[in-house]
Amino acid sequence: MTFLGLIRKSAVRKPLRGSLLIVSVAMAFLIYGLTASFIAGSQGTAAASDDLLGVMNAAGRAQPLPLAYLPRITELQGVAAVSPITRLRGSVGDARNVVAVSAGNPDKLLAVSGKELGLTNAMVDALDDGRDKVLVGRALAQAQGWSIDDTLTVTAFRTRKADGSRDWRFEIAGIFDGKSPSTDTYFILAQYDYINNARGKNRDTVSTFALRPEPDVSPQQLAPRIDALFANSAAPTRTLSEKQFLSAFLSQYADVKRVVTLVVSVSFVTLLMIVVNTLVFALRERRFEIGVLKVLGFRSSRIMMMVLAEALFVFLVGGTIGICLAKLASLAAPPALGLVLDTNVALRAFALIFLLGLTSGALPALSAMRTPILSAFRTR
Amino acid sequence: MTTLKTESPFIALSGVSKTYRTGNESLPIFTNLDMTIQGGDFVAVMGPSGSGKSTLLNLLAGIDHADTGDIQIAGQRLDHMGEAARAAWRAHHLGIVFQFYNLLPMLTAAENVELPLLLKPIPASVRRERVAKVLDLVGLGGRGKQNPTRMSGGQQQRVSIARAIVADPSLLLCDEPTGDLDRKSADDVLAMLGYLNRELGKTIVMVTHDPEAANAANRTLHLDKGVFVENEQVAA
Ligand SMILES: Nc1ncnc2c1ncn2[C@@H]1O[C@H](COP(=O)(O)OP(=O)(O)O)[C@@H](O)[C@H]1O
Ligand SMILES: [Mg+2]
Repeated sequence: MTFLGLIRKSAVRKPLRGSLLIVSVAMAFLIYGLTASFIAGSQGTAAASDDLLGVMNAAGRAQPLPLAYLPRITELQGVAAVSPITRLRGSVGDARNVVAVSAGNPDKLLAVSGKELGLTNAMVDALDDGRDKVLVGRALAQAQGWSIDDTLTVTAFRTRKADGSRDWRFEIAGIFDGKSPSTDTYFILAQYDYINNARGKNRDTVSTFALRPEPDVSPQQLAPRIDALFANSAAPTRTLSEKQFLSAFLSQYADVKRVVTLVVSVSFVTLLMIVVNTLVFALRERRFEIGVLKVLGFRSSRIMMMVLAEALFVFLVGGTIGICLAKLASLAAPPALGLVLDTNVALRAFALIFLLGLTSGALPALSAMRTPILSAFRTR
Repeated sequence: MTTLKTESPFIALSGVSKTYRTGNESLPIFTNLDMTIQGGDFVAVMGPSGSGKSTLLNLLAGIDHADTGDIQIAGQRLDHMGEAARAAWRAHHLGIVFQFYNLLPMLTAAENVELPLLLKPIPASVRRERVAKVLDLVGLGGRGKQNPTRMSGGQQQRVSIARAIVADPSLLLCDEPTGDLDRKSADDVLAMLGYLNRELGKTIVMVTHDPEAANAANRTLHLDKGVFVENEQVAA
């Protein structure tokens, strides 16, 4: 037997209690892992860029802007590339299977957000190859089981063709991966011209202009200059970075997120309090044993370390199980949920495991250290 | 392995006083107690219940403090040491045997015996050998893997004796080691303590109620109302 063996035997002396403790910790960290993955995932703004700007109608995101603004924005000093974007939302097959289509100018899309979306020249050429060609993000393609050359029909919620039909037929020309795993790739890239020419209403308008500033130009300074151009037009603009845009967009979910986070934190804390409580009570039963160890010549400091190590053991085993389960869940969950359990989330989780292991071990450990030998015997 | 019999006594208490205070009541146990025990002695301490026998052993083990007085064991002043130093001192010099064995229930007999060795820089293989050797010595060879909670009282007490001697201490303190045993088991345990004293030279101080247990010792001290009454005996 070694010290570690003694600690392990001590921690699992009552198999039922030991397993329940470990399961509680595992559940707490499963919850934690899922929430952290959710926040780190594509639903968040972590991967969004601060460099890219979007020009929208100041009256609201749903209001269009005239395509005629395009040359004036393109000519502005400090603008590297601009693509008109029109958005279309609809369903594929099942009405609940919602997808989003962003239609832009292929060449300009490459120049504006090619890096962020992981677009290549070959992909853009393939997109340009026919007017109904589209590029599909990896997450969406995986979720739907689509591959290159598949055709799909998006039934738009609002955007009708000139003939009144809401069915838009596309052919998949490529699949893009995004720069990092947390890049949102749950959407379709289509051609602006195709949708613009075919639609019955709102022709020659855009949902937004996506633009990339020159490398040495600050997006924060460029944005007000763009908005100044149109300040006195019929449709004034509001220019935001992609990150600001996403944050604003997400704020409609923010309350839900806040509630979810709150509920999760409360259950997390409750589980941990149960664990600490159990550890403290388990220790009461052991005052006698601690006394025995002290009589045998174990120093108080060593006994304190042992009790601390026991708590750490419970947290490490339980926490690792919980994080592994969360990882499995993040792999198995539909990509639309955007769960990303990356190294960062895992590292933070393990830091938390150590921290909580030590803090919940601290109280029992201190009381074990302070237990006088004699009172230890009197509990007999 | 015999302990040297030197001129200065192995254990020397002088002017030791101890009073228990609970709330505003105070219960004096010893006032100005003197006592000496030579190295290699086997001393029985007898006396009525509540006379302070366990308190005396606790003082000798350094797990309780005297209010005043000197406690010197093997040339070291116990009353001058801090808690950590006393723990280290116990690990080196002392083995303790209790009436109720005080074995840890989640460990096997061998693991219980091994505990004191964990505090020493001894490789695992040597630890295992030593544990096997002392378990043999107490007549439990081959029973190491058994859980002590499933052993008889006599066997548990032998495990606890093995644990007390595994680190080869010079002093054994026993608090009613036969108090919970039937006659046969008690005699086995007493024979074993006698062997440890005679053959291995351990100094033993044993608190007991049992006159037969006292017979196994070669000196008996009677403790009553905080004073010793000596009663020398010839070793059997
Ligand atoms: N920690 C303590 N606090 C208060 N009184 C105590 C304490 N320990 C022992 N006593 C009392 O001191 C007296 C002597 O106890 P003890 O040494 O255990 O006696 P013995 O072992 O001779 O029966 C008893 O009356 C006991 O109740
Ligand atoms: Mg007693």
